[in-house]
Amino acid sequence: MTILGSRKTGSRKNGSFAGQDRNTVHRQPRRGEMSALAMRSVQLLLTIVVLGAWELLARAGVIDQFFFPLPSDIFQTVWLWVSSGFVFPHLWVTMQEAILAFLVGAAVGLLLGFILARVRFLERLLDPFLQMFNALPRVVLAPIFLLWFGLGIWSKVAFGFTLVFFIVFFNTLEGVKSVDRVLVDNAKMLGASERQLLRHVFIPSALTWIFSSLHISVGFAITGAVVGEYLGASGGMGYAIAQAQGVFDTKGVFAGMFILMIVVLIIDLLVNRLERHLLRWRPVRSS
Amino acid sequence: MGSVRGPMHHFGSASVNQQGEQSAGAGREEAKMPAAQPGTSGYAVELTGCTKQFPTSGGETYFAVRDIDLKVEPGRFVSIVGPTGSGKSTILNMAAGLLTPSFGEVKSFGEPVTGVNRRASYMFQQDALLPWKTVIDNVSLGLTMAGVSKTEAHAESRRWLEKVGLKNFADRYPHQLSGGMRKRTAIAQAWIVNPDILLMDEPFSALDVQTRQIMENELLQLWQESGKAVVFITHDLDEAIALSDEVVILGAGPGSTVVGSYEIDIPRPRDLLDIRDDPRFVALHREIWGRLKVEVSKTYESALAEEGEAA
Repeated sequence: MTILGSRKTGSRKNGSFAGQDRNTVHRQPRRGEMSALAMRSVQLLLTIVVLGAWELLARAGVIDQFFFPLPSDIFQTVWLWVSSGFVFPHLWVTMQEAILAFLVGAAVGLLLGFILARVRFLERLLDPFLQMFNALPRVVLAPIFLLWFGLGIWSKVAFGFTLVFFIVFFNTLEGVKSVDRVLVDNAKMLGASERQLLRHVFIPSALTWIFSSLHISVGFAITGAVVGEYLGASGGMGYAIAQAQGVFDTKGVFAGMFILMIVVLIIDLLVNRLERHLLRWRPVRSS
Repeated sequence: MGSVRGPMHHFGSASVNQQGEQSAGAGREEAKMPAAQPGTSGYAVELTGCTKQFPTSGGETYFAVRDIDLKVEPGRFVSIVGPTGSGKSTILNMAAGLLTPSFGEVKSFGEPVTGVNRRASYMFQQDALLPWKTVIDNVSLGLTMAGVSKTEAHAESRRWLEKVGLKNFADRYPHQLSGGMRKRTAIAQAWIVNPDILLMDEPFSALDVQTRQIMENELLQLWQESGKAVVFITHDLDEAIALSDEVVILGAGPGSTVVGSYEIDIPRPRDLLDIRDDPRFVALHREIWGRLKVEVSKTYESALAEEGEAA
């Protein structure tokens, strides 16, 4: 799908975990272009070449193994963490935090987005305050949340919330406001009440915007959780990575990163599925 | 399914039976001779001294239309023709209740229009189908929103889809249809709620010439058996004469007003594919074009003058 670049997502998505290129998903092969299978093989080859070069250069002593551990060692650590079950409680804590942050952030963002888009007075009233909070680099909130909510999951949920909320909020606001005037007029002429307008016109129309932000906000929910844990926690992937770093275990740091990457990829895939189902009415755009 | 729009049906429009078809009787006759005694409450659409102005960014006032008087009797097909920028859509939107006139009064069947005109359906120039609903859900929309059950609404929609020749496309999404098919869907969507008035804003202007003629023919057939009042906006004089009982000419904008009204007495039913050779058509066309031409050149000249100023 095309990323509908709102001002907020456009400037924020760079830091996101889930900010992978989603344009590849629906692309139709053009004449003279490689088939999907051939492309996959080449991608696999590229991976092998890069990892192989890394492994060889590290073994040959060109790259310092302390800072860049052998890929084989990293995978071994990953396997150890997974097979021993060490990683799962941490992953579960992180997921809990991310899911809660996402749900609360998305719900409040949607609600406020819809309300402000429909009530012009509130939008004008609150705009400067929202801009102010959005301008605040969110990481600086982590210490104060830690003091307010303690080392447990709630400080991370609050932190993730501040990240997710603004993305969903601004996208919803923009999505509802950019609804085609003719669609609204037509529904009105067919007898739509304000509630029916919301249900049949505004929500579906805003869905494309909300979905373009969903990938990013899911990534941000996880970012929020991990960064929060890194700064102070008693469990979670960020905590595990911080622990490994504390004992100069770079293999552990890399293994933590790798596991997180895989998890976020899987989640993004699920979001893609959901998106394709809910937006099935949209024409498939060829690039 | 009975009357969807409550107690409004006993006016000029004909009653509709379960099949959504015309029970050719009183309604039709009423539609055929509406001029007998329209009275104050008789007009389907009645604009009196309507002016619409907007403040411009420069602090001045822009008059879209000025002092519009328009009366459309129930069952009549009235076209509004005017040059570009003459405020045709403004007039239609005022009749629909989507715009409130700055001065003047809009009435529909004797009652002042406040909010959207619930006795009218609107066909827009642009695509107004909801892209996230299938064809059948789009057509059913007016019924389901009025509280008709989904099964009943779908059954009625299927009848309408059959009427407009889209029986096999019920489960498609609008983007999977051609422009002509989308217009047919829009027609079904507008007609299914059985409005007394149809407001049409250049509904076929985006179609190619052949499709357009076919659609015009179909529209006329639907309308002839319905007794509904139609206000049809177009910039195409041929189309206006071929379809209408009356053609209203708007002057050059801004601040345009009605400059002429012509009775089209070509007998019905009309065959639109051959009508352009009809001597009556040719005579009327010559007469009306003589008037419209003046307004069109005025618009053209003022556009040239503006360009000159800008240069």
